[in-house]
Amino acid sequence: MTTTNERRQEYRNLFKQNVEKRLLVDKAVRIVVFACVIIAIIPLGSILVEVFKNGISAISYEFLTETPGSIGSGEGGIGPAIQGTLIIIGLSSLIGVPIGVMSGIYLSEYGDNRLARSIRFFNDVFMEFPSIVLGIFAFLVIVLILGHFSVWAGAFALSLIMFPIVARTTEESLKMVPITYREAGTALGLKKWVITFRIVISAAKSGMITGILLSVSRIGGETAPLIMTILGSSQFFSSMDVPMDALPLRIWRLSLLPYDSAQLQGWGSALVLIIIILGINLGVRYFFANRKNGILGQLVKKGIHAKN
Amino acid sequence: MTRLIDPSLQKLSFIMGEMGDMVVESISLAIDSYLDGTNTMDQVHKLSNSIRSKYYEVEDLTFDMLLKYQPVADDFRFIRSSTEISYAFSRFGRYAYDITQVRDLFGDVSECTNASLIESTKKVKHMIKEAVLSFAELDVRKAIKIREDEQVIDRIYKERLPRLIESNNTKCALAEALLLRYLERIGDHAVFMSDAINYIVTGKHRPSEERIMSHTKQQ
Amino acid sequence: MTALSVKPSDVAIKESLDTVIDSEKYKMIAENVTISYDKVPAVKNITMKFKEKSVTALIGPSGCGKTTFLRCLNRMHDMTKNASVTGKVMIDNIDLYDKSIDPIYHRRKVGMVFQKPNPFPTMSIYDNVTAGLKLNGVRDKKILDEIVEDSLKMAYLWDEVKHDLKKSAIELSGGQQQRLCIARALAIQPEVLLMDEPASALDPIATQKIEETIMELKKEYTIIIVTHNMQQAVRVSDYTGFMYLGDLIEFRETKKLFTDPKHELTAKYVQGQFG
Repeated sequence: MTTTNERRQEYRNLFKQNVEKRLLVDKAVRIVVFACVIIAIIPLGSILVEVFKNGISAISYEFLTETPGSIGSGEGGIGPAIQGTLIIIGLSSLIGVPIGVMSGIYLSEYGDNRLARSIRFFNDVFMEFPSIVLGIFAFLVIVLILGHFSVWAGAFALSLIMFPIVARTTEESLKMVPITYREAGTALGLKKWVITFRIVISAAKSGMITGILLSVSRIGGETAPLIMTILGSSQFFSSMDVPMDALPLRIWRLSLLPYDSAQLQGWGSALVLIIIILGINLGVRYFFANRKNGILGQLVKKGIHAKN
Repeated sequence: MTRLIDPSLQKLSFIMGEMGDMVVESISLAIDSYLDGTNTMDQVHKLSNSIRSKYYEVEDLTFDMLLKYQPVADDFRFIRSSTEISYAFSRFGRYAYDITQVRDLFGDVSECTNASLIESTKKVKHMIKEAVLSFAELDVRKAIKIREDEQVIDRIYKERLPRLIESNNTKCALAEALLLRYLERIGDHAVFMSDAINYIVTGKHRPSEERIMSHTKQQ
Repeated sequence: MTALSVKPSDVAIKESLDTVIDSEKYKMIAENVTISYDKVPAVKNITMKFKEKSVTALIGPSGCGKTTFLRCLNRMHDMTKNASVTGKVMIDNIDLYDKSIDPIYHRRKVGMVFQKPNPFPTMSIYDNVTAGLKLNGVRDKKILDEIVEDSLKMAYLWDEVKHDLKKSAIELSGGQQQRLCIARALAIQPEVLLMDEPASALDPIATQKIEETIMELKKEYTIIIVTHNMQQAVRVSDYTGFMYLGDLIEFRETKKLFTDPKHELTAKYVQGQFG
């Protein structure tokens, strides 16, 4: 022992003594951080309040189910738009989610080579593409070739937006599953695809679903790609080869009209869109979190036990 | 790097060293008192008791180390042999005391001294010194010498006993018989001790056991 | 830790590898196994023979290659990208690394239990035990039930969980989870069981239970266990192999290795003079 007790005491005296001042600084920082959060939330909160305030009076059974009336009359509703949004989200998911998930699985489980690295890079670039560019691409590839606007084109464009998000989040969720579970599966003599699909995905479910919901929320509000692909219409869905309406398009159209009634309907549509997106999110989360066997519920329970 | 067990091992070595010195001293004193008539009973008695209490100390220390450190390999063999050797030391002390008691009981028996007695006592003194040194230096080569000495003592023991029966001098005969007996036992324990030292160094266990058992049967 | 001045010479290693060769059967033989990561050898030309129904412990300082070696015994290195394995690993005279055999089929003969208990988190106790079976095509419910009970009993877990096999595996304590992993490994009816420091993440009572389980299992299985707890090696194993820097320094009956090690490195290691 070369350090004597006196020297140790000297070291102790070096520590900052101004405890009160530092506690104050601590508090101040906490307040500043909290304030920043509030500042960030206030606009979001006020948007919700604004939309609710302005749109609630437009909501009625008629509003939700009927086709739009003549421009400026204030009659009719946004039925086709609601239907259209649900259809386009569903179709895009049908295309984008499986492809995205499979890509994510490839990148995570089989992707330790140069090809995978380049795919990953392009995936990240793709995620940042302006959606209008993707819309134009869909326009060129489908609308121009087929000669008309269609639901196919819209679903295609939106799936292009979905797919990189889903791929990325799937890959990250799968990578978060500790390698030890894969090893256990290998040691049991299971084939790789069995391990991936029955064990790893099972454990990564929560993260994957979050990613999928994220992408659904994203495309639910996309407007630009829809302009160039499904164009919008005033009729309910009739076939895949013709234009269709969707809430973002309807909101856009309504908000450009100079009539007060149109404005009101615009607010109402915005409210409906927000409620739909929120609903999808909460619904899926609630469903998965509360299932007895769900990993989320289990981890929550275990977390509570651990704290005790 | 000092391991946790090292201070205890050093203490064990130290105590064993002290015991060894006391053993050499007590046996020398006892034998000399027999041969030249001095009364050293109290001294030897004290030494013998010290040796005995150190034997208990060694036992406690051994079990303490087993409890705490679970020793293996060299440490393990050293500790195990130290138990056996410290027991041998305690026997040496005891026999030394017994020898002085003979002298005390019978009075001065220095006139009973004869050539074979001188030879066997010399051998015993030498043997004990060699044994203690062998343990201190962990030198197994001395084991051969010790075994040779033990065989000489055995031989003398076997030769003299029948002759003593025909002796006229009862006092001398009895004294000598007792002395030879104690010397023979000291010899046996010295061989056990060299076996234990052998175990520490080579890991081989109890090579002399069979030999000794077989010749004790013949008696 | 300072570098040791004693280098294991080949002659010394050869002498200290003297095991009692008798006519009893060897369940598993590893011959001239060399394992390299990115061309750098981590395990150098090791030959070891494992007797049937015995427990062999592998000890050595961190980084000596014992876990790497253990994992080659059931071809776990197939999963590792830059690992290359040469040599033979024979079970009942079939080389696991023979190109002509199906590794997955033979891998089932060798079960493995890992250091940190890793029951599948989204499955129940029952499903965990049957994971190796169901996902490999065994479907008969009656047989599955039988195997579950048998495996859990062998792992000393049956009495504690039999009333609620549908409970989620991660609700069990650490020691119970590890015994569940043992049951899961046993369910695929292996003949050799590999254990990689199975008790190192557990508390002393759980450790004791695992050791008791091992002592029971050794009546039927050949067990190879990597451990850094030397007292554990002395308690449960019949044979012990000491590895250092990728070499096998000494391989003998446990009692002999720990009371009278032949190689100086072994003596130094087991007495805590390095590592």
